[in-house]
Amino acid sequence: MITSVSVGLLALLSLSIPVGIVLFLLGFGIDTFFSPFPLIKGLGNLVWSTSNNATLIAIPFFVLLGEILVRSGIATRTYAALDRWVSWLPGGLVHANVATATMFSATSGSSVATAATVATVAMPQAEKLGYDPKLFSGAIAAGGTLGILIPPSINLIVYGFLTQTSIPRLFLAGLVPGLALALGFMVITAIICTIRPSLGGVRRVFPFPEMLRALGQLLPIFLLFTIIIGTIYKGWATPTEAAAVGVAGAIAIAAAFGGVSIKMFGEAILGTVKITSMIMLVVIGASFLNFTLASAGLGRELQDFLGSLGLSPLMTILVVVCIYIVLGFFIETLSLMVVTIPIIVPLVVEQGFDPIWFGILMIVLIEMALITPPVGLNLYVVQGARKSGRMSEVMLGAIPYALAMLAMAGLLIAFPQIALFLPDALQQ
Amino acid sequence: MAHSMLNTLRKLNHWVAILVGILLLLCAAFVLADIVLRQVGASFGGTDEISGYVMAIATSWGMGFALLELGHVRIDLLRSRVGARGRALFDLLSMLVLSVTITLIAVRCWPVLERSLTNSSRANTPLETPLALVQAPWMAGWIWFAAMAWLTFIAALMLVAQKDYAASEAAIGTFGEEEAAL
Repeated sequence: MITSVSVGLLALLSLSIPVGIVLFLLGFGIDTFFSPFPLIKGLGNLVWSTSNNATLIAIPFFVLLGEILVRSGIATRTYAALDRWVSWLPGGLVHANVATATMFSATSGSSVATAATVATVAMPQAEKLGYDPKLFSGAIAAGGTLGILIPPSINLIVYGFLTQTSIPRLFLAGLVPGLALALGFMVITAIICTIRPSLGGVRRVFPFPEMLRALGQLLPIFLLFTIIIGTIYKGWATPTEAAAVGVAGAIAIAAAFGGVSIKMFGEAILGTVKITSMIMLVVIGASFLNFTLASAGLGRELQDFLGSLGLSPLMTILVVVCIYIVLGFFIETLSLMVVTIPIIVPLVVEQGFDPIWFGILMIVLIEMALITPPVGLNLYVVQGARKSGRMSEVMLGAIPYALAMLAMAGLLIAFPQIALFLPDALQQ
Repeated sequence: MAHSMLNTLRKLNHWVAILVGILLLLCAAFVLADIVLRQVGASFGGTDEISGYVMAIATSWGMGFALLELGHVRIDLLRSRVGARGRALFDLLSMLVLSVTITLIAVRCWPVLERSLTNSSRANTPLETPLALVQAPWMAGWIWFAAMAWLTFIAALMLVAQKDYAASEAAIGTFGEEEAAL
């Protein structure tokens, strides 16, 4: 069954049938060939119970929050402010790219939105100040991927929903690896630019009072992050409710900076409905596939399969990592995550691994998929925003950061506490 | 004919999407009000339940809009390697498969609604919402999505028959890379 599903999955995906529909088709296939009783009778109920779900409404809320921030011009101010703080480092403005992406990750749940936001503001600066385009654009593509690791993260909500794990715990677990990865990106940038200064650009030192003034521009984003995460851990609100608070906060910030108009609001709403529907079609499809796989006895088959392979838990994880790296070249984030969860997560949990920890490891690997060609969405997003130069420049520039992600994945495997320490400490 | 048909579908779904968005905003406002009320010891109660219904209805009604905006993700590794006619065939195949699948889902929604109607089922919650009241608009959304899928498929089929591959690609092709989410 595992083999048939995997082969069917790749065959149907390569026909360019929409990912959500492919998941339904696989579910129908399992029902026809592997299930002792007709599962299709449960289809209507499953679609209803999957979408009638208060947890998932966090998805449109976080998407809307991001859309409002992106369209309100707040990104430009944040970027300028962070430029004051980090451009003295070797690599100059490249650090501002990473830092801005990190800050936006902390309020937006999406990676492409983060990369698109930073790319739009940063690219004109690169040309003006004569930066080497490779490292500069690679840093934006890589920094943008942090959006799905640093909470709030739409991908972690989807993971938590499909694997029945706690979303607040997942959020906490993503925080430290996310910040560590951001720091890693900056360290790598500094090292590369110290060895080869031509890859960076002018280092600029700003007078301290100017730096202090810039801090004020960062305040709204800090505040928004604190409100969202704070209300969750104070127990005032569930992640879903915190998302509603975030939407209100984003509207308030946009209004304070004069970025609210009917047109902007309409665009934000339309973008939200489109993205939410796209996500929900794959989530409902994955949910149906999950249900058929479980009903047809995936658990037992997995045990037999693992027993026959005789792999140690560590070997299993390494094989899984390789699978993600290879698939990541061809399939983009959410689809990659959703199509693999029904098969891979039970397999990993069967081996005794913590599903929260594995969620974070999976997100790091999926982030890498975002910046590895030929299908790396963030590469295209950044290329789209810079409008000149070759695609290969962005790809080359992203390589050091992809290596940093690989190192992070290795660290997570060696020291699971990097992810689990914070949720364990805060939630006994 | 095909062009005006697609234009009408787009306009209709544009307004549907705006309504769905407003529904979501209202829901956010409602949730927010409840959080504030809870701090002073009161509560509407049932925000979770209502959020769930809003999500189910918003999801099913938003699908058609996402379809016309080429929002549903496809992997175009093979598709992008063939000529315009080949791409049109890939697109038609996936529209056909999508239309059939969605129709099946819409049909399968009926037993859910039917049971709620015949048993006059109410949600097992303090609100005791009559389930048919929320399941009917939910199912209508899936029927709407199925209808949109078939109409778009027919329009695209006409375009391909006229060898107007550029127009069919605009109607049922893949999203621009930068448009994809997440």
